[in-house]
Amino acid sequence: MNLTRSKLGFGINRSRAGIIVVVALLAILFIIGIAVSDRFGTSRNLLNIYEQSTGLALVSLGQTLAVLTGGIDLSVGSVISLVSMLTSGLISGDQSMVIPVVIGVLALGLAIGAVNGGVIILTGVHPLIVTLGTGAIIQGIALLYGLGPIGKVPKGFDYFAYGRLPGGISFGATFTMLLFLLTAFLLARTKAGRYIYATGDDPHAATLMGLPTTRIIMLVYMLTGFCSALTGVYLVSRFGVGQPYTGANYTLASITPVVVGGTMLAGGRGGVIGTLLGVYLVSLLNNLLNFLGVSTHLQLVAQGLVIIAAVSVYVEKRRIA
Amino acid sequence: MLSLSGVSKSFPGVRALSEVSLDVRSGEIHALVGENGAGKSTLTRTIAGVHQPDEGTIRFDGRDIRWTSPGDAKKAGIHVIYQEFVLFPHLSVAENIYIGHERKTRFCLIDHKKAAADARELLARFGLDLDPKAMVSDLSVADQQMVEIAKALVHDVKLLILDEPTAVISGPEVDVLFKRLRALRDAGVAIIYISHRLEEIFALCDRVSVLKDGRYIGTRPVAEVDRNELISMMVGRSLVELFPPRRTLAADRPTVLEVSDVSVPGRVRNASLVLRAGEITGLAGMVGAGRSELAFAIFGALKKSGGSVVLDGKDISKTTPAEAIAAGIGLVTEDRKGQGLAMLLDIAANITASTLPTVTRYGLIDRNQENSIAEAEIANYRVACRGPSTGVLQMSGGNQQKVILARWARTSSRVLILDEPTRGVDVGAKTEIYRIIHELADSGIAVLMISSELPEIVGLSDRVYVMREGEIVGALETDEISEQAVIALATHQLAA
Repeated sequence: MNLTRSKLGFGINRSRAGIIVVVALLAILFIIGIAVSDRFGTSRNLLNIYEQSTGLALVSLGQTLAVLTGGIDLSVGSVISLVSMLTSGLISGDQSMVIPVVIGVLALGLAIGAVNGGVIILTGVHPLIVTLGTGAIIQGIALLYGLGPIGKVPKGFDYFAYGRLPGGISFGATFTMLLFLLTAFLLARTKAGRYIYATGDDPHAATLMGLPTTRIIMLVYMLTGFCSALTGVYLVSRFGVGQPYTGANYTLASITPVVVGGTMLAGGRGGVIGTLLGVYLVSLLNNLLNFLGVSTHLQLVAQGLVIIAAVSVYVEKRRIA
Repeated sequence: MLSLSGVSKSFPGVRALSEVSLDVRSGEIHALVGENGAGKSTLTRTIAGVHQPDEGTIRFDGRDIRWTSPGDAKKAGIHVIYQEFVLFPHLSVAENIYIGHERKTRFCLIDHKKAAADARELLARFGLDLDPKAMVSDLSVADQQMVEIAKALVHDVKLLILDEPTAVISGPEVDVLFKRLRALRDAGVAIIYISHRLEEIFALCDRVSVLKDGRYIGTRPVAEVDRNELISMMVGRSLVELFPPRRTLAADRPTVLEVSDVSVPGRVRNASLVLRAGEITGLAGMVGAGRSELAFAIFGALKKSGGSVVLDGKDISKTTPAEAIAAGIGLVTEDRKGQGLAMLLDIAANITASTLPTVTRYGLIDRNQENSIAEAEIANYRVACRGPSTGVLQMSGGNQQKVILARWARTSSRVLILDEPTRGVDVGAKTEIYRIIHELADSGIAVLMISSELPEIVGLSDRVYVMREGEIVGALETDEISEQAVIALATHQLAA
């Protein structure tokens, strides 16, 4: 107990409610899974679930940061799409272009985030609206670049998505998990992390306390943009080609693990560990429903139910006086 | 320590400060008084670097200063405790205390252990009994106030400004606060103390400065000024009597509301009281004594675990707030912004909010009729505004309170419960509100007034109930009401 407190410390503490709920749900789904299918509990299937969680995990990591400050980023899906197009389009099968292009698109993610953050700060318009707008613009640019799948990537580029570490463990998913642990640590143990929570908890108080709120907002949307760009690169690695709508579903999907993992939309409460578990929960649920032979349409229904069930647990009882 | 000369500050359409000059010495507690809108908050914010003055100079600690952000002022040793707490409810006590000045390990990481240990030591040094790891949202308001003070102590604070620090605490907690402030003063800290409660100024402060309409009126040693002089400096005219003369009560005052043995788990135990038509009944006690909870229970907004409420002979123990309103009971909560007013709407919409059906025709709101009602009420209650379409957000606390009273007076034909009706309201508006309360009672409504201000309880009530720790511990008839009697009951001291 003491050890967990001091090591991951306040990070875990802040989203404890979320973590308990998600772990409980994970356990329940897991038991159901074992009951309905022999193959569900095999290490092969579990490693599959792990591997398939990568894309959602990457984009949700950034989304968690935006939500922690009391904001949201609705441009993530468009950024993913644009970055996937640019990645495969610019590399165009040329091995020597891989590194410069990947660095370039990640920088583009940061730049788009900087624009989002800058507009939010300068105009004072709610991030929901700002990113809805920039998201539409970016989607438009992606479509101007190409109306369908574009370019290709050299052999070996799929290592991010399909590479396996010793023991058959997915490289991409492990890389992503480490990224989450690093972020959790930084959130708990750096000033910037503390200020992200403070800004989300009470932005007015944060300003009066002389905290650098504008820099924090800027930082958060840049990181969200970076995570989206990384997700775009991942999807190219996975599908071998960029497509103009490849990220479309990720905008809303990225919010699910965040709220299921116990991060409050009002900001200031929650954390990335809860989000990571939320991602695993979504992956596990989809996998389980596949085993049950449930159609993808019904999977959406099930996902919706899980969101509402999980989040209603966190809702504080309204108190008078 | 701090010296302002000719400081002016304008906002679009308002000249908030006009050539204010003021000197505050280190080692003194300097009261700053004035009606709402006199410029106290603007002055505070200008000193704290939230606003930049348009004209004039601020000298602090021997040099001319011009802050560009609150961070600058903080670095120089100016700390402000605002009326609305600047706390992060979901961070711990220690995290709040060191926000902006995090305790670090060698690797530039936040050192939670050291922060908790340092906070514990700091709190202990000033006799504040708080757990550094507790979440601020779990603390009582008084303890949150202590966290605010602890925050100031972290820095090498040279000037501490407190804006209405006692608005949310009472009794023993105020004494604790005063003790801490005197200790700080004796340690050489300059303190600016803003308060509406003149008693506090006489009890605590060394000098007092008065602002009126953004202008500096003067500074006096507290020992050389009396209450009336201070009030006349603040309002520009002498208010010999803050309270309207006592009313002659009608001989026949039938019982309107009878509350018997009402309990709310953990808050109120077996409370019984009687409200009569045309009477103002005071409900006194410390903050946290269960007064608001009892009011909510009567109103049906808080679950009762026992007891009965009878209105005009009819049992309404199981009423909901909507039914209570329909039955003629009104409740003006103490939290104007949270529960009372729709801050974004205009006066007319607020006044008719609980009587909308009367201004609705064919399912549509008749704005003309609504406006004429509002205009009548504005005149009746002397609300200072441009007209019915003035947004309540821009109005002073006193005028907002009048709008709320106007709204409830329209629906509350039988009982009106007022919870701290003059909180955050300036002296001038207070007398107006007292007059309105009198008129409401004279019209035959049974008024129940909850107040933490003793002069208000004593000056206005026809009868007084006193609560302590969830129980009604005493009832005082008209000729028994005195500040001493109420305090004795509220704090369980033997009557002096």
